[in-house]
Amino acid sequence: MNRREPLKSAIEELLDDVDGVLALRSTSGHVAPHLFCGRQELEELAVSPKYSLPATLRLIQAAHPEARLGIVCRGCEERGLIEMAKRNQINLDLVTVIGLACTPEEAEECRCAKPYPSVLVETHVGERAEPVVDQLVEELRQKDVAQRMEFWRKHFDRCIKCYACRNACPQCFCPECTLEEGLWVETGEVPPTYPTFHLIRAMHTAGKCVGCRECELSCPAGIPLTTLYALIREDVREMFGYEPGADLDQQPPLVLPVEVES
Amino acid sequence: MWGPQIVAYACTYCSYPGADLAGTSRIKYSPNVNIIRVLCSGRVSPELILRTFREGADGVLVLGCHYGDCHFISGNHRTAKRVAVLKRVLEYSGIDPNRLRLEWVSASEGARFAQVVDEFTETVRQLEPMERVLA
Amino acid sequence: MEYRNVLTTCPYCGTSCALYLQVLDGKVVGTLPVKGHPVSQGALCIKGWNAHGFIHHPDRLTRPLIREKDSFREASWDEAYDLIASKFSALKEEPGPDSMAVLSSAKCTNEENYLLQKFTRAVLGTNNVDHCARL
Repeated sequence: MNRREPLKSAIEELLDDVDGVLALRSTSGHVAPHLFCGRQELEELAVSPKYSLPATLRLIQAAHPEARLGIVCRGCEERGLIEMAKRNQINLDLVTVIGLACTPEEAEECRCAKPYPSVLVETHVGERAEPVVDQLVEELRQKDVAQRMEFWRKHFDRCIKCYACRNACPQCFCPECTLEEGLWVETGEVPPTYPTFHLIRAMHTAGKCVGCRECELSCPAGIPLTTLYALIREDVREMFGYEPGADLDQQPPLVLPVEVES
Repeated sequence: MWGPQIVAYACTYCSYPGADLAGTSRIKYSPNVNIIRVLCSGRVSPELILRTFREGADGVLVLGCHYGDCHFISGNHRTAKRVAVLKRVLEYSGIDPNRLRLEWVSASEGARFAQVVDEFTETVRQLEPMERVLA
Repeated sequence: MEYRNVLTTCPYCGTSCALYLQVLDGKVVGTLPVKGHPVSQGALCIKGWNAHGFIHHPDRLTRPLIREKDSFREASWDEAYDLIASKFSALKEEPGPDSMAVLSSAKCTNEENYLLQKFTRAVLGTNNVDHCARL
C-alpha cells in the first residue's frame, strides 16, 4: 500500500506546529535523513530504506535544545527513542512522533518482532505487519558449545574493526567509548583479538538494544551481530522482566539494585 | 600435569578478609588460585573479566559481600546482574559459562572461601585449557 | 536550523564508497553510509566513518606558511609562489632536476594528479613523482 502520500499529508499537517520534521529525502537517486522545514521540500520525501533517525534527532537536539521537532518513526526507531529518553539523551517533551508501519517484506528482512510503533505515536501511517520469528536465533540456540564457538570464530575473524556497529547504533552515545580504550582493545590489531571486542559490545547492549539491526546492516563483513544481541535481550526479559523500548516508565535493570527479600 | 589457572577478584571489605582468615586459620585450599584484591566486587566489569580470560585465565571467580553488607551499598547488586548476563553471553559465544562464578563470602567465612575455591578449581579442571579454546 | 545530508565519495581509497556528509547549520558533523548503493552497499570502513574529520580540524592549513628558522609565519599566496618558483628554478640549475621530488595525495582528484605529474616531468624535468597510496 502507498505510504508516501499519507505520510506526506501527515508531515504537512505537523509542520504547522513544529520547527522541522525529520524524515527521509531522496536526492540524486539516493535516500538520506533530512530535516524538512518547508512544504516545498516534501516533494522529495522518501519512505525507505530505513536509517537511524533517532541518532540524528539527538544530534539536532544537542545543537538546538529548545526546538520543537517532529520525527517519522518505525517500530524500532520508536523503541530507540524511548531508551534514549530514559538515559536523558533526548527530550521527548519537544518531540512529536509520526508512526510508520513496516511492510511485511521489510519486517521479514529485519526479522522484526514488532514492526510498528505504538507507544509515542500521535498519527500512524501504514498497516501493521505480523511479527517475524528470527530463524537465525533459533538456529544458534540449537548449536552446542563447540559449534557456537566455531560459528562466532568464523564471523568475528572477518571483523575489520571499522566501528560501524558502534557508530550506527542509536544507543551508543558515550563520549568515551570503552571499545576505544587501549586496555581492552589494542590499537593496530585487525581482527581485534578474540573475543573481547565483540563480547564487550554485546554486554553493553544488555538492557539497551532495541533490535533495530542498524549494526548488522552497516557491518561491511556481514557479521550477524543481532543474533547475539537478540538472545541477550531475551535473557534480560527473562531475568529482570525488562523489555527495551516497551514503555517509558520501566527503568533499565542493570543500574538498579537487586530486589532482595529481607 | 596441567593445573587450571584461576583468577579470583576479592573485594576489600568482605571476601579478601575472608581469604585472609582462611590463611591465618591454616585451612588448605587449591594453590591454583591467584587472588587479586579490588575495592568492591562492583569494580569487576565485564571488560575486566573478558581480558582476564584472554590473558590465559581458565576460570574467573568473583567474590563479593552478601547483600546488605556491601561497604558501597549496592556494588554487589550491580555485580550480580552483570555476571548473570555475562555468563549467558559466554554461553552464546561458545565459551563454557561454568568458567565464571560469582560467590558471596563474608569476612568471617574463611572455611567457605576455601570450599568455594576448591570446588571451582575442580569444575574448571574438567574443562579444556582456555589457551586452546581461544587459540 | 538546517540539517541535510550531502552525497559524496570517500577520498581515501580506490573503492570510492559513497557516503553522506551530515551538515548541521553549515558545519559538517559526521558521516553516514549510503544504503542501497551499488558500490558500498550501505557500509563504510573506519576511514570512511571518519572521512569528515579533517574538514573543520583546527590543525588544518588555511593560509600559506613560510618557515623562518624554527617557526612558521603567515604569508600571502603571491609571496609563497614567488619563493617556490625561485627556489625550484635554482635547484633545477644546481644540483639538477633529480634533486627534487613530488609526493601527491589520495585527496586530490584524478585531474589534479595528472597536472602534478605533468608538472614534475615536463616543468621540473624529473621522474621523481609518487603518490601516498603507494607508500
